[in-house]
Amino acid sequence: MTSLPFAFDGPPELSGPMLSALSRVVDPELSLSIVDVGLVYGVSVTEGEVRVRVTMTSAACPVIDVIVEDIELELDRLLPAGTGIVVELCWEPPWTPQMMSERARRFMQG
Amino acid sequence: MTIVRKPTAEGIARPVLAALIGIALLAAVAGGLQRTGMSLGTSSPAGAALAQHAALMLSGLLGTVIAVERAVAVKRRWAFVAPWASALGSAALLVGLPAAGAWAGALAAAVFVGASVIVLARQVALHSVVLLLGAVAWLVGNLLFALGVHAPLILPWWFAFIVLTIAAERLEMARLMRHHPAVQVALMAILVAVLAGAAGTGRWPTLAGALFGGGLSALALWLLAFDVARRTVRSHGLSRYMAISLLAGYVWLAVAGLAWVGTAFGCPGRDWALHALGLGFIFSMVMGHAPVILPAVARTRLVFGIWFYAPLLLLHASLLVRLPGSLIDPSWRALGAMLNAAAMGLFVLTLLASVLARRDAKRG
Repeated sequence: MTSLPFAFDGPPELSGPMLSALSRVVDPELSLSIVDVGLVYGVSVTEGEVRVRVTMTSAACPVIDVIVEDIELELDRLLPAGTGIVVELCWEPPWTPQMMSERARRFMQG
Repeated sequence: MTIVRKPTAEGIARPVLAALIGIALLAAVAGGLQRTGMSLGTSSPAGAALAQHAALMLSGLLGTVIAVERAVAVKRRWAFVAPWASALGSAALLVGLPAAGAWAGALAAAVFVGASVIVLARQVALHSVVLLLGAVAWLVGNLLFALGVHAPLILPWWFAFIVLTIAAERLEMARLMRHHPAVQVALMAILVAVLAGAAGTGRWPTLAGALFGGGLSALALWLLAFDVARRTVRSHGLSRYMAISLLAGYVWLAVAGLAWVGTAFGCPGRDWALHALGLGFIFSMVMGHAPVILPAVARTRLVFGIWFYAPLLLLHASLLVRLPGSLIDPSWRALGAMLNAAAMGLFVLTLLASVLARRDAKRG
């Protein structure tokens, strides 16, 4: 099973494709994926439904809906037709810079 | 919390609000052109646009757009009262109902403060506090406007509203760069100076002007030193475009602050203070963020391309004509203002063409 930077509860064979799909969702200003920024808290796969818990760096950002829509589009491409996709927006625990990937930290530190 | 995807401004409401925002932009630009000597006739709306240029641009246009963003973010139906009241208020200013327009603006800002409290409750963080302070600055400015206070006392509040709103967003992003905590403290000290300058303008105009302008220049240096744009400018595509528009805006912010200090001590340069700030900093920011924000608030998508640099380049070049150019030949100020307007027009066309290009690509 691929080592994931977020909690994953589901069939192990889905973890890698799930990581790839979520890594294709990019924060438009940063050119970094939401996985690299540390916005994905967890994914759980149950019968007929995938639930993704994500956070945002700002509660005032109107781009939240666009990012959520992008997540749904990427998962829709990955999953069999008819699978329910639920994206939950969480504010707890609050996002911190420690949640960024090593790649994102290196980019930000220059 | 599960995202429930409800339309944010359903059916006919969204185009009507967009049309009101467009009218506020046109009127604000028309007022600005008249102030630099262009004649647009003696009709009542032209006269109102001339008289209410700052109210239309800072509160009617930018206030409405920022209020839409906040309402979309907090997802509360009542929060949309803010952009609607602001947009209808600016329309009222144009049709000769200044008192109704000004009080509608005050209502808009009061609701906007409420929406900003929701943001703070949802995310207790320093940048949320700064956003709320910015909202309060808009409310103070709009209340002073409704009470008929002299314009020079209102302008610092309206500018503080937008400057603090931008600063809050940049502070939020700067967390990704993991600066020393003293960096945040420095920003708060700068923003306190800006707010103190706005508050003291009536009583101690020289000291307050120096504080306000000094705060703006210090903010520019802070942004140039600590903003994520320093990193993302090395990126590509939209991210790089946003960074370039931000960094260019920070340079104008520094210039505006110096000019603001100069005018506080009686030096000429009011056009520098107001328009290096309003156009060089704030509109550069608007141009940088619009390709990301428009799809979010208008529920549409667009194609980003290198053509977005054309209006951005024209904006900054036209400011060079208008401000330093006027030192060479005073008539260049009016020419620069016309080119400023052309930059805004070109930007609106660029946005529309990019949305249409996306729709065509999807159909194809």
